[in-house]
Amino acid sequence: MPAPSRQDLTLSGIPRAAYIHIPFCRRRCYYCDFPIAVVGDKLWGENSGTITQYIDALCREIAITPSGGADLGTVFFGGGTPSLLAVNQLEQILDALERRFHLQAGAEISMEIDPGTFSLTQLQGYQAAGVNRVSLGAQAFQPELLAACGRSHSVEEIYTAVATIQSARFTNFNLDLISGLPTQTLEQWQASLSAAVALAPTHLSIYDLTIEPVTAFGRRYQPGIAPLPTDDITATMYRLASEILRGAGYEHYEISNYARPGYQCRHNRVYWQNQPYYGFGMGATSYTQQQRFTRPHKRQEYFEWVEALERGESVLNTPQTARVDMLLETLMVGLRLAEGLSLKALASQFGEAVVQPILDCLAPHQAQGWVELSPPGSAEGRVRLSDPEGFLFSNVILVDLWTALENYQTGLAVTG
Amino acid sequence: MTDAPVSQIRNFSIIAHIDHGKSTLADRLLQTTGTVADREMKAQFLDNMDLERERGITIKLQAARMNYTGVDGQKYVLNLIDTPGHVDFSYEVSRSLAACEGALLVVDASQGVEAQTLANVYLAIEHDLEIIPVLNKIDLPGAEPERVRQEIEEVVGLDCSNAILASAKEGIGVPEILEAIVHLVPPPKDTVDQPLRALIFDSYYDPYRGVIVYFRVMDGVVRQGDRIRLMASGKEFVIDELGVLSPAQVQVDNLHAGEVGYLAAAIKSVEDARVGDTITQAKAQASTALPGYVEAKSMVFCGLFPVDADQFPDLRDALEKLKLSDAALNYEPETSSAMGFGFRCGFLGLLHMEVVQERLEREYNLNLIVTAPSVVYQVTLLNGEVVEIDNPSTLPEPQQRQKIEEPYVQVDMITPEAYVGALMELGQGRRGVFKDMRYLTPGRTTLIYELPLAEVVTDFFDQMKSRSRGYASMEYHLIGYRENSLVKLDILINADPVDSLATIVHRDKAYYTGRALVSKLKELIPRHQFKIPIQAAIGSKVIASESIPALRKDVLAKCYGGDISRKRKLLEKQKAGKKRMKSVGSVDVPQEAFMAVLRLKEE
Repeated sequence: MPAPSRQDLTLSGIPRAAYIHIPFCRRRCYYCDFPIAVVGDKLWGENSGTITQYIDALCREIAITPSGGADLGTVFFGGGTPSLLAVNQLEQILDALERRFHLQAGAEISMEIDPGTFSLTQLQGYQAAGVNRVSLGAQAFQPELLAACGRSHSVEEIYTAVATIQSARFTNFNLDLISGLPTQTLEQWQASLSAAVALAPTHLSIYDLTIEPVTAFGRRYQPGIAPLPTDDITATMYRLASEILRGAGYEHYEISNYARPGYQCRHNRVYWQNQPYYGFGMGATSYTQQQRFTRPHKRQEYFEWVEALERGESVLNTPQTARVDMLLETLMVGLRLAEGLSLKALASQFGEAVVQPILDCLAPHQAQGWVELSPPGSAEGRVRLSDPEGFLFSNVILVDLWTALENYQTGLAVTG
Repeated sequence: MTDAPVSQIRNFSIIAHIDHGKSTLADRLLQTTGTVADREMKAQFLDNMDLERERGITIKLQAARMNYTGVDGQKYVLNLIDTPGHVDFSYEVSRSLAACEGALLVVDASQGVEAQTLANVYLAIEHDLEIIPVLNKIDLPGAEPERVRQEIEEVVGLDCSNAILASAKEGIGVPEILEAIVHLVPPPKDTVDQPLRALIFDSYYDPYRGVIVYFRVMDGVVRQGDRIRLMASGKEFVIDELGVLSPAQVQVDNLHAGEVGYLAAAIKSVEDARVGDTITQAKAQASTALPGYVEAKSMVFCGLFPVDADQFPDLRDALEKLKLSDAALNYEPETSSAMGFGFRCGFLGLLHMEVVQERLEREYNLNLIVTAPSVVYQVTLLNGEVVEIDNPSTLPEPQQRQKIEEPYVQVDMITPEAYVGALMELGQGRRGVFKDMRYLTPGRTTLIYELPLAEVVTDFFDQMKSRSRGYASMEYHLIGYRENSLVKLDILINADPVDSLATIVHRDKAYYTGRALVSKLKELIPRHQFKIPIQAAIGSKVIASESIPALRKDVLAKCYGGDISRKRKLLEKQKAGKKRMKSVGSVDVPQEAFMAVLRLKEE
């Protein structure tokens, strides 16, 4: 793990991280509103013309994206279900990245994989290609809950998948779990947490279910209303996860993420430190030269966009993030981390004058134990949200901070 | 403009229900007489306020002078004086009618007579106007001119044997209408030799020229440069500009008895030249003013508060400016514990209130919180003194008062027979006293109720429309004050009484209203970090209570690279929502909550 304090200071700059979107899935889970393409249960990897065509466009996009000049420190294959790729398709993409940007020695290369979609040979193949961190979408350890959220795999397949990961000797692996699923009880949640801990992953992502409007869940359910658990229960689930996982030796290092010491996800930290990153593939977002740009969500439109890019047409036509917005985004993502934000770093980037309104705004939250300042009373130390209460009400705190800072003149910034 | 002999002048107005084609007919008359060239014609020339065009109703009246050569070869001057088409403005209608000798009664041949039309026809009959029935829209497939002809005869009692069949849209019947105006409407009385008396039937404020006054000369002559006196306001002015409306303003040297025109005289506020006032010469004054002048009386009141307290001075300036052109608008500063500084405003009726609100928001870019409308209660104190209360929060305590009286109106509803049951239920539910039911023609009925005005100013009109699928129409007028068992219903949020949420209700309905109100507020007020009790109380007795559970979490579970922009928008939205709320103690209450009493579900 790099020391966070130094990293805080650079907000703009050259991207050293790349996100690759692999949109294919066997089917769509009921909670999912990601840009994906359903390929069913048979035609995966090289047997799928759709996938082959996509990899081609993706590699062409990588090949013509201007490099900032720095080697990549992290690569993240997200989806979708990246484990629907054949090993040589993954190699193809990594080759393209290597040719265009170069990968640092020891770069973190993560890949999302789903139970029931990979074999040991396949996993060893990914590993040989360079993947050194895998993230397994387990979500729940009860067959009825897996069925309730439309997952394509069984509980049994989760155990098989973990055994395969261990056989391939991946030392760095993550498990995803979701709390707040329809009909889920506190007892079931506790059982899932215990089952996950027993599998000894180095990292756990614990997501409180968000009901997105354009999903099967969004059509069927209303947050907080049965069969969804009440806010009271899901808040208890959140506290329970924090208590159990910290008790088992995991650091609760981000609102929804836990890791053994030394195993925080370096790629995701890039987002939370509001640093730049490349994004490749349909629906992927990049943040380069202070522009956030999201690629087309539909496959055909993405292909056309890549062609336009190849014809040299300007396609990253989003406005530059204004300084004040950069400040708000830095607060929004930075306070997700348990280590919080360095006031000194904020002052040097956005001006000394930024510190006082932040401290004033946070004072009442500090009084009720949601915000911590270390060392206490210092205008140069770090501000962070408390675990779990501050995390649970982070939006309340952010809305107050944004209101306090909306007219902040970042032009007064003194660069230090 | 040629000087027209009094005998050749015809002054008339058009009485019609909304959508029955008044504006289209007016346009057609302007076109046929060549007053407005075809190419200058924009749809509905007379309604020139945006709001009016959007709603298809006429709020401010206008006038137009037309030159017409009759079939008999004689030259005539026709003055069309438009009337506003809404019940809130019946005084203005009566002044317009007083300026005419005749009226076209336009009725949609597929619909029939509506309540508002009926009220205005009776006004016209009271003013002794010659009424010419016109059955419009006869080109439509659903037209039933015979049925409607019979209906007018039976309902209004007018002889319709010579009713003109017309389609203003298609131009059918327009020449016949012009001939009927010339031959049936009597010319004005020739009183040119008498001292000047001119009736103001409309005025508006022009930022460059001051108030522009529209008037009809009843007696005598008025000239450019005359020093005039307004008999009700007692103010004197020198005429800078005198003219006629054709329909654009055209200056003339003088106007004599029977003519219609406008003047500008550096008048600073419409209050100085109110509708109904009499213009006379300062030097040779008329001995008596024209009859019928009435001071505007506000019927409906509400609080207007800026969402953003910084906008208070802007709101004050905007009201001052509106007042220059709207003499019926009254306001005075109000301070509320929940809303801060604002104004208590009085209006002629609900539409007037909406119009003012919309103009403030649109033309002056203000973001307003409006409290539920209230009427004026007459409260007799123990010492016999009578006080008028237009703000529920200022109602004297029960131990200080003898009785409360509230204004009553007679509501006439005209409806297809099928909806009589539903409308009677509505009248009954609103504490109405059933007075009469008459069959107008087979299938059409008029229902007459006496109702507390307070029950009418909420959503009565909307309810009447929805219960009759839009077919019923209504008219109401004040009939006096009546004593009732009324109580003040207080709303407490987190144990604090909120003055802007207090209402005056009938004791028998207090329990239901209280329950409905607290449950509506529970829906509208967001969760806070603590549990919030919401109570309805009469005096110290709580009659309904609910509570908003505490907020348990407010967190974005996932936030990765692709989520940042979207999550930011979510938080921005949350922030904007919070800014639109008013703090009541430690509770943030959204704008809609202050109008909640209007949105209670029907029992």
